[in-house]
Amino acid sequence: MSTINWLFYVNFAVFSVFLTLFITEMMGAVLLLLFYEKSRKSVLDYIVPIWEVTGTFAAFWVVTADFAYPSLLLPVASLFAATIIIFLILFVARNASISFAELIIRRGWLDEKKLYKLYSLFTLLIGLVVITVLSAIVSGRGISLSNYSFSLATWISDPASILYVAGVLFTGIGLAPVFYSMEEFRRLTVPLTSAGILFSTISLYLYSPSFITPMFLVPVLLTLVPPLLYQSRVTAPLISNKLVFGAMTAIIIFSLNYIVYPTAFGGSLVVDEITAKGPMVEAFLLLSAAGAVIIGLLMILYIVAVRNSKKGRVSTEHPA
Amino acid sequence: MAFPMVDFDRFLFAFTIGSHILLVSVSITLSILISITEFLSIRYNDRYYGALARKLLRVFIVSFGVGTASGVVMAVELVNLFPGFMTLVSQTGVIAVFYVEIFAFFIETVFLVVYAYYWNSFTGKYTHWMLTLPIVAGTLASGALISMVNAWMNTPNGFNISNYLATGQITDVSPWAPFLTPSTVPEILHVLSMVVFAGAMLMGGYFAYRYMRSHSEEEKELFLKGLRLTTLLSAVFVVLTIYSGINEITTLLTEQPLKYAAIELNPTPGSGFPEHIFGTIVGGKVVGGFDIPGLQSFLVQMETGITNLPGLSQYPQSEWPPLIIHTTFDIMVPSGFLMGFFLLVFTVMWLAGRRPYDNRLLSYGAQFLAPFALATMELGWVTDEVGRQPWIVYNVMTVGEAANYSSALLVPGLVIIAFYLFLIPFTFYFFARVFNGKSLERELKETSAGGGVNY
Repeated sequence: MSTINWLFYVNFAVFSVFLTLFITEMMGAVLLLLFYEKSRKSVLDYIVPIWEVTGTFAAFWVVTADFAYPSLLLPVASLFAATIIIFLILFVARNASISFAELIIRRGWLDEKKLYKLYSLFTLLIGLVVITVLSAIVSGRGISLSNYSFSLATWISDPASILYVAGVLFTGIGLAPVFYSMEEFRRLTVPLTSAGILFSTISLYLYSPSFITPMFLVPVLLTLVPPLLYQSRVTAPLISNKLVFGAMTAIIIFSLNYIVYPTAFGGSLVVDEITAKGPMVEAFLLLSAAGAVIIGLLMILYIVAVRNSKKGRVSTEHPA
Repeated sequence: MAFPMVDFDRFLFAFTIGSHILLVSVSITLSILISITEFLSIRYNDRYYGALARKLLRVFIVSFGVGTASGVVMAVELVNLFPGFMTLVSQTGVIAVFYVEIFAFFIETVFLVVYAYYWNSFTGKYTHWMLTLPIVAGTLASGALISMVNAWMNTPNGFNISNYLATGQITDVSPWAPFLTPSTVPEILHVLSMVVFAGAMLMGGYFAYRYMRSHSEEEKELFLKGLRLTTLLSAVFVVLTIYSGINEITTLLTEQPLKYAAIELNPTPGSGFPEHIFGTIVGGKVVGGFDIPGLQSFLVQMETGITNLPGLSQYPQSEWPPLIIHTTFDIMVPSGFLMGFFLLVFTVMWLAGRRPYDNRLLSYGAQFLAPFALATMELGWVTDEVGRQPWIVYNVMTVGEAANYSSALLVPGLVIIAFYLFLIPFTFYFFARVFNGKSLERELKETSAGGGVNY
């Protein structure tokens, strides 16, 4: 009798939220790099308060992964040793550049625009590192589990990997105007997103035909919904709503869990075999439930604060 | 000969955490200062405290942004550099401590975001101020929880250690035990009081410098208020630091006697020991430095009633930590007392109605002691961590057993070091830049804008 691997699903749920937040940041980063003046207001209104939460979810995911897969730590540390350090450098650079950008008052050569562009660049580079690692975990390309090594050259020489990156890139660029309500790019959203889905589908098929199952229709169709709804002036505000879009993205990512479960690394790693067992499972689930309540309440507080600020319930009398 | 990767791993992590705790000290202290200054601005309708709160908030945002990233670097580095250690951690309750820390981190993050970016969404002044309380609680809890992990490394529990040492199997796991080890409470108290003390001294030094250099009366008033606050905070926390430090050393005596013997430089066990000031051990004897006869035994007996003290000869030399920790300890302790004395003079003059801030000698003293306090904090950390060597988990796992020997870490590791060498000074430079970014006049008038996001 099979039982549900709750540790996997909790970890994957946290990952889905983290990736949702990060993808929305990446979409903003693309717009800031390409159309800084046009996109500045809508992108920064969203990103400036949220980037710290994204970072917190990244840490949250790392810790849930440590908790859920203790025996995977040694292989992962060896497999992605250099990649992880590159990620870390980029992550610090991202945080530093955006926090400096928020507060800088122009004096000299460094200004807000340059710092936000730097932030965008670092965010996209982090995205590239994340996509590379995820693709390797999904497909096993470039990975040798016998001697715990990852070959970037082998990974990149596989056309499926290039298509994988292209798929993510096109989908992200296609959805960015929807999320950030940039009407002038409305017509581009459907073709770009469709192209992204097509590239991703081909890539996954090349990785393993077994990835293309009826289940795959769920993320495909859900990904097409935002650009389609964005075509109508009636439904556009609904789909551009950050919560609606975010929830949909998280569901799309979560629905892809079957490509790494029950096996990952192209079928060579059975996830149930490396998941934590014993009394730690109970502790994990208990803490996760408590944590979910805390984070849920915090998110409600955050949304209430944002909505209050929009309604104009503004205090005119500050202590200063 | 291959490059000793274990030493590189050790150095890289030490370097990263040594840089990180500078930011932690600033962040924790800022969260407390922001809360106090905003409260005072409301309570006394004092616009200077209000301006100070806003200025400090901007510094806090930078410190938080860089500090959290640096915290993530450490969390991931632990996996990358010491996978053996993290495998042990992940199979025992210590991972639960890390997990709870994430929730503390969430509380701090979300409340900070709401506090800073939606300042004007709150109609009640005290309602807005109350947001600072969970921020302070979150920062302190983060510090406390990470100290819990370190306490567990010093006094591990929560699994069958003897079975692990015999078989390598982790059994009898108690997920909640690592939340309270014998050294948890003393370590939390000492770490938190020290980081707040060092942060308050740092900011006090900066305020003293700015007070001395300011020509405008308004600016002088602002920095004077800041200086008074940080002096008070430093004075309170130096007392707590010294008290908790004494508590720590007595805990070492019972829980980590080898570390105690190395710190006190006791070659053999016994009683009636002097306090060795500096020096080292050569051929089983203390050489160099000087002794204060009977002082060590007197202090220990007064504090704990223990008369027989441990000595290094009770343990195999291969398990001794580097004896440099005796020197770092001997610099750290008098430094703490020196700063305590300085603060006492400052406070007494202040209470006596004199103006210590206008005394150039004291002002220079405050400026000099600002980085000195940070250095003392780092020395304390070095004493604790080097004192546990060669163990990463005391008497359970050595650093060598835990380390990652992949040479692929070398080049990116060096890049991280170079990056931090640039990042930390630049961040401190940026602290000053955002603090002074707006003129005081503008600061006093300005109200922050709300967000315009479609949620």
